[in-house]
Amino acid sequence: MSLVTRWLKPATTVYAHCDVPCGIYDPHQAELAARTVARMVELIGQLPKENLSEADRHKFVRCVAVKEQHAEIVKHEIQVIWSDYFKPEHLERYPDIHDRTWKILKLAGKNKQNIDAQAAAELEAAVKEFADIFWSTKK
Amino acid sequence: MPPAQAWRRYRRGPWRVAVAEDSMTPALQPGDWLLVDPAPRRWPRRGSVVVVRQPGTGMLAIKRLAAGPGDVVLAGTEYVRLADEAWLLGDGGGNSVDSRHYGAVPLDALVGRAWFRYWPPRRLGLIPRRRSSSARARASIASKGKLRR
Repeated sequence: MSLVTRWLKPATTVYAHCDVPCGIYDPHQAELAARTVARMVELIGQLPKENLSEADRHKFVRCVAVKEQHAEIVKHEIQVIWSDYFKPEHLERYPDIHDRTWKILKLAGKNKQNIDAQAAAELEAAVKEFADIFWSTKK
Repeated sequence: MPPAQAWRRYRRGPWRVAVAEDSMTPALQPGDWLLVDPAPRRWPRRGSVVVVRQPGTGMLAIKRLAAGPGDVVLAGTEYVRLADEAWLLGDGGGNSVDSRHYGAVPLDALVGRAWFRYWPPRRLGLIPRRRSSSARARASIASKGKLRR
């Protein structure tokens, strides 16, 4: 950025915010991210175990990076719904929301640390259940 | 507004803002840099583009002021007359999160009027007051009054 534009750039950002019509919160992003994590674990598993070509090594690194990113997206999206959307009355109906959230965050962390198809499937299932609870509170 | 209060508001700003996201297209686009008047003398007027502190989130948003005190709007399923409140709408471009979501906004939440775009240079110019270009958004305004001069 040139000196002039740096000097002209405003310090404040204002948002012309858009959203999906069903509301400000949507667990779909988290589900998609969890699905991506599982898919990356699958892709990594398909790579040859020995004598990796340059292209294979490249793919491996990319898959790991995407897996990390999307596990982090799961954590972020779930945290936002948990802290901003759920209210005490939801908690009365679903007393295990805190526990579920905590487990999802832990599972996402586990998926970052390991290449583990089992953990990825658990994460996907847990996020799915979380999303089901979210939608049932919308009814 | 008494001069002392107006002065305080001028001091506080914001003077310049950058636009993010696209609920105000085509009037404003993401990446536009605007000049803001933090204490307009005649206020609020229908059709102006305003910077507002969004209820609930406290985030600074930019929307068009579609209706002001005394106007009738369609809030959810019923018509209400606005007290000291403003009804804010996006212009189109996706599903704007605006008064149709969070309802009328108290006038105190308005932080200024965006009046001039100084960047990018090829779209330099005043930001005119006019109606929201989204018909769906406009449908929530009941009174069909002309813009106040």
